[in-house]
Amino acid sequence: MPISEARSHNSAIRRLDATSLARVAIFAAIVAVLGMPGGFSVAGGVPITVQTLGVMLAGAIIGPWLGALSMVVLLALVAIGLPLLAGGRGGLGVFFGPSAGYLFGWILGAFVIGLIVHFGGRKPVLWRTILGMLLGGILAIYAVGLPVQSMITGLPLGETAILSLVFIPGDLIKAVTATIIVMTLVRAYPRAFRRVWASRNTQNLESVR
Amino acid sequence: MLTLYKPGTGWLHRMPAGPKLLLILAVVLAVSLLPARWTSVPVAACVAFLGYLVAGLGPGMMPLHELGRQLYALRWIIGITLVSQVIFIGFEPAVANTTRVIAAIVLAALLALSTRVTALLDAIERGLRPFERLGLDSQRVALLLTVTISTIPVLGRRAAEVRDAQRARGARNNPRTFIIPFLIVALKHADELGDALTARGVR
Repeated sequence: MPISEARSHNSAIRRLDATSLARVAIFAAIVAVLGMPGGFSVAGGVPITVQTLGVMLAGAIIGPWLGALSMVVLLALVAIGLPLLAGGRGGLGVFFGPSAGYLFGWILGAFVIGLIVHFGGRKPVLWRTILGMLLGGILAIYAVGLPVQSMITGLPLGETAILSLVFIPGDLIKAVTATIIVMTLVRAYPRAFRRVWASRNTQNLESVR
Repeated sequence: MLTLYKPGTGWLHRMPAGPKLLLILAVVLAVSLLPARWTSVPVAACVAFLGYLVAGLGPGMMPLHELGRQLYALRWIIGITLVSQVIFIGFEPAVANTTRVIAAIVLAALLALSTRVTALLDAIERGLRPFERLGLDSQRVALLLTVTISTIPVLGRRAAEVRDAQRARGARNNPRTFIIPFLIVALKHADELGDALTARGVR
């Protein structure tokens, strides 16, 4: 475990190996695909962007460093003019609009989620996953997004926060959905996490001993 | 893949991508820093108009048509920003702030309109080269961006396949039942992509 830990940490910062590079590229692409038309409508036809769901999953599945890096890659591609955000938005302009801070918040959000969900290199469990989704997927994104929105629009922080309350119910639904997806993936496709966890049997043996 | 680029032969189109990026960023930042007063409204609006008129986007009314298209795409942002600001902080700052934000956004759009993605990728690679001393591998950054660009349409097709398969079995269009199979398909593609890169000498 310490070896794989050191490897993934090292590769994310210093030198990205081919496998990590592919996973970073895939998660940037997943968030882009989730913003494409043909998306979803829930709760009586209200269209929602499921892109933040992709942000939550990136941090939870490929970990803090690679997850944050995949968001940097996505935003870099948006900045150079690819229409990858929900509704076909893209270009440098989105970084000067009211929602610019939330986009930068995706980087911090994916990182915080990865830190909490993969805490100490341990297997994702329900309470840690949902905590990560709430702190990283909602709180961290708003912590960056609200001040920037307030700064860009010139509306005081308090009023900006009141306006943003509209989006909280949708965010809570996405956090719960992301948690369910991660917990399903741990059981259905543990390969996704590229980590080896101690099995339940050996944990029991240790507790006996 | 679809980009925001519009072919053209004006001076902005022919300008090298790196300096163009810096020029547009400087103009956009200057507009963003205008104060929230009535005087800022004509200034911001004029800079945006002039930007589109002098950029040489095309013959006749083409530039103004393009500006109109950009503004139409921003109609929701314009509406929400304007209304919320009028309610909370009054008429003058509301109009000034909204004009300033919208002018900055449409000016920034000039970069994507006039520059090919490949030219900007090259500019990024060149621009990051000085940071190699700090341990940043600019070629690897360029590879990562290029691989991601080519992966997006592939994953888009995979997503459509997963949706079609579910529709054929009569399943409803529901995020939760779509995302798990899509994620597994995407992660398997990531493994194949990693192997393919390794086979081509990327370590």
